[in-house]
Amino acid sequence: MKIADGLKLIENGWIRKPKGFRVRFHRQTDAGVEAGLSPPPEASPLNSDVTAWRYAWKLWQATRPAAETGDPSALYNITVVDDLDHPFRFYGTGEFETYNPKRIDDGGGKATGEENET
Amino acid sequence: MDNEIHQSQKIEIAPTQVGTTAAPTDLPRLRKLGDTMTLHGTHMALALALLIIGLLVAKWIDKGLRKGLKRLMPKASFITALCNAVYIILVAIVVIAAAAEFGAKPINMLRLVTIIALVVIGLIIFFRPFIPSMPFKAGNTVKAGNLLGKVEAITFLNTRMKTFDGKTFFVPNRQILNDIVINYHYTETRRLKIDVGIRYDQDLLKAKRVLEALMTEDPRVKTKPGPMVYVLNLASSSVDLGGRCWVDNKDYWVARCDLLEKTKLRFDSEAIQFAFPQLDLHINDDGARADGSGYPATAGMTGRNPHEAADEENI
Repeated sequence: MKIADGLKLIENGWIRKPKGFRVRFHRQTDAGVEAGLSPPPEASPLNSDVTAWRYAWKLWQATRPAAETGDPSALYNITVVDDLDHPFRFYGTGEFETYNPKRIDDGGGKATGEENET
Repeated sequence: MDNEIHQSQKIEIAPTQVGTTAAPTDLPRLRKLGDTMTLHGTHMALALALLIIGLLVAKWIDKGLRKGLKRLMPKASFITALCNAVYIILVAIVVIAAAAEFGAKPINMLRLVTIIALVVIGLIIFFRPFIPSMPFKAGNTVKAGNLLGKVEAITFLNTRMKTFDGKTFFVPNRQILNDIVINYHYTETRRLKIDVGIRYDQDLLKAKRVLEALMTEDPRVKTKPGPMVYVLNLASSSVDLGGRCWVDNKDYWVARCDLLEKTKLRFDSEAIQFAFPQLDLHINDDGARADGSGYPATAGMTGRNPHEAADEENI
């Protein structure tokens, strides 16, 4: 195997480099609970997980009182996801974190918001 | 008597001077000017008014165009050149219109303007190699002397630069040409350095792996050339590690700050301790220095084990 092939193997198999980050959340609407992304899928994602986590934390701080009182404007299960919509670990602790956690049934018997809750 | 003579001379000389200097030569000129004004005065006044108003309107359009384009395309660097070209064309149109109003044939004026433009272009092309040019364009981020900022405009005399703390500097071109200039737009990517020092008793290989993984997983870090971690130095208090990776110029500053922050936090969570300057003091229990000089060590003067002495004090 040539060095170039080996490097390609490492690039594909060692650490996956995400193409961007978004903040995922749940929101109560008239139609029920719906999931949302910020920035939205049609917009370009954030290129820094540090920025994405800071943004998520600020969203949590802004909606925390509303979430505690059950206000419809609250955002729940705020977390950072990568370009494949997989939850991304918080760089500060190395753990998956979710702000304003709330158990939401997606209809298939599965529930979200059960990750390492904050 | 003398006074009378002087007065009479003055009285005689004065009329002849007036008669010889003003009347024969200037009067026809003035009459000619008067005739010209009578015949073409209206056209001249109109042409002058057209010129003044036209130049004012051109200036107003130029200002509006600059403002509008900057609002629409704040990052475009061609705005200055485009607005300058539009302004020159507008001024040429105004001059031609004013000259046509004055009586000149528009076709002749057009020919004249074309000839002037061609001569100017020819001169610029011929002398361009001899004219010192600036090593950057408007819109580039450069470091010239002690200033780091974005070039806003370049004129014949000075360069307008806006630093990242919001100050606008007018730097003489002469000073820039005599100084070392770093233009960050010549290359798209830039190498980023993450230098850290860990304690001697820490796991060096683990620290290298963590630092490399941290750079590799960042989307802004280029895969070619990939990130590398080197042992830079075995210093007196630390093992110095150097992380090197490449990022886009536009991402450099934020990526550097993010990676430094993540390095600190990841090393903390992986229990890798950073080094700090320290000095180990070794004291012999037998009360003498290890170098055999015979002088007693400070703690050994009491003749007791220093740890025992400390314990007694604590009690």
